[in-house]
Amino acid sequence: MAFGLRWGGTGVFLATEIRVQFHEWLAIVTGTLTPGALLIFVAVLAPQLIAVTLIGSLVYSMFLIGQRVRIDHKLNELYHASPLSPEAYFVGIAGGMLVAYLPPSLFVLAILEILHPLSILAWLVLAACLLAVWAVSSTIGYVVSTLFKDMKTIWPYSALLTNLFGIVPPVFYPIRFVPTEWRSVVLLLPTSGAAVLVNGVAGLETISGNEAILAAAALALESVVMFVFGIYWARRMARER
Amino acid sequence: MAVEVNLGAQPQKGHVLAAWGLIGWRWIWRSPAAAIVPLLQPFFFLYFLHLISDPSYFPLQVAGAMIFSTQNIGSWCLSDSAVFRIELRLQDIFVASPHDKVRYLFGVAFSNIIPALPALVALGIILAMVTSVSLTAWLVIVACILIIWVLYSAIGIAVSSRLRSQREVWPVGNLIFTLLGILSPLYYPLSRLPPVWRELAQLLPATYAALLVQGSLGLEPATAGGLALDAGLLILSTAIGLALAWWLYQWRER
Repeated sequence: MAFGLRWGGTGVFLATEIRVQFHEWLAIVTGTLTPGALLIFVAVLAPQLIAVTLIGSLVYSMFLIGQRVRIDHKLNELYHASPLSPEAYFVGIAGGMLVAYLPPSLFVLAILEILHPLSILAWLVLAACLLAVWAVSSTIGYVVSTLFKDMKTIWPYSALLTNLFGIVPPVFYPIRFVPTEWRSVVLLLPTSGAAVLVNGVAGLETISGNEAILAAAALALESVVMFVFGIYWARRMARER
Repeated sequence: MAVEVNLGAQPQKGHVLAAWGLIGWRWIWRSPAAAIVPLLQPFFFLYFLHLISDPSYFPLQVAGAMIFSTQNIGSWCLSDSAVFRIELRLQDIFVASPHDKVRYLFGVAFSNIIPALPALVALGIILAMVTSVSLTAWLVIVACILIIWVLYSAIGIAVSSRLRSQREVWPVGNLIFTLLGILSPLYYPLSRLPPVWRELAQLLPATYAALLVQGSLGLEPATAGGLALDAGLLILSTAIGLALAWWLYQWRER
């Protein structure tokens, strides 16, 4: 199949998915509640950390968007039976989620800009890191969803993943709270690596050059490898139907 | 062909709670992650709060996590009763059976407290390790947990009876129970909240449960009169909440 044909229909499917998701406005609003709760905890208990937590909230929201790919997965078989290519399906569904769930993040971004204005470089790093986290998380969400048959069974695993990637590592809090021996490990995680990089460029945290290189290289590698794997997995799923 | 059945003549009692308990246990047994995640959930929050806040708040936060975990049972009840009604059509069978709606409500609530119990026990042990807990305080904690369990389970089941599709379950449950969890001062003293928020929090039963527990543990200054008032307000707000849940609850489809 020619390269162009493989991606045929992506735009239409993306637009469809965006429209479908905008019908779920309640899910979009409630998706902000967990990061909102953590922001409130920080505002009440440690207001000096609010800018770091706002950046963490953006990273966490992006990870959560990827995890939502699982929710629409019941239509998987129908789409795989259609002329739509597996890669167009995966990119369309992940992209649709990204666009639909972006408005709450823009609101958080506006608050961040008021409390701690970002430089152009910090904006670029933030955008790149958020896209990388989305790529990793969309693949995890999609692959995990194909391993289960009912929503109730998926829920605990999804909750476990969002907590392990979003709450435990330094996403909502500064990396200086992490013991030195664990710093390299948390920099390898896509969520905490992204948050630390943005915090570093935004002047909210001090990280060494080596730590910045480690976090950036790990995040770039993970996002590319995972996204390619997501496409491979979508093709495999289509073949099995 | 419809058959007239005298439901009154059918057995009305039996091992209903044990059967519902078994449903709760079977879910854990079939899906180990389902047992581990509710157990870990309050600890993830506690870990985060421990890092960002004054260490002197830790006992208060452990006690708050016990109430928060109990509140969350309501969300699980909402999810379960929605699955039973919408997806499995199981509620229709219960409606047609001699199993009345109060037993059904308690059954769903009982089956959902089972996965939460290990977390509550673990939090209780941690609480005893980080602060001294008198017998009275334990009794207050258990009473508050039972009250919050009944109330929030009733709210969850009542709300679920009005949902039309499975897709509404997660956002509606998340909206109600996360908001209720954030508004009540479970992880910090009420005095740390801004005035408007404080007044809003004073409308919620979990706030009085938290104040009672914090006061009985000696974590916040409280007089005997103040604790009695908190207990009265907890009972009053719970009664209002249960009445609202009863009004909202739809047992039979129209």
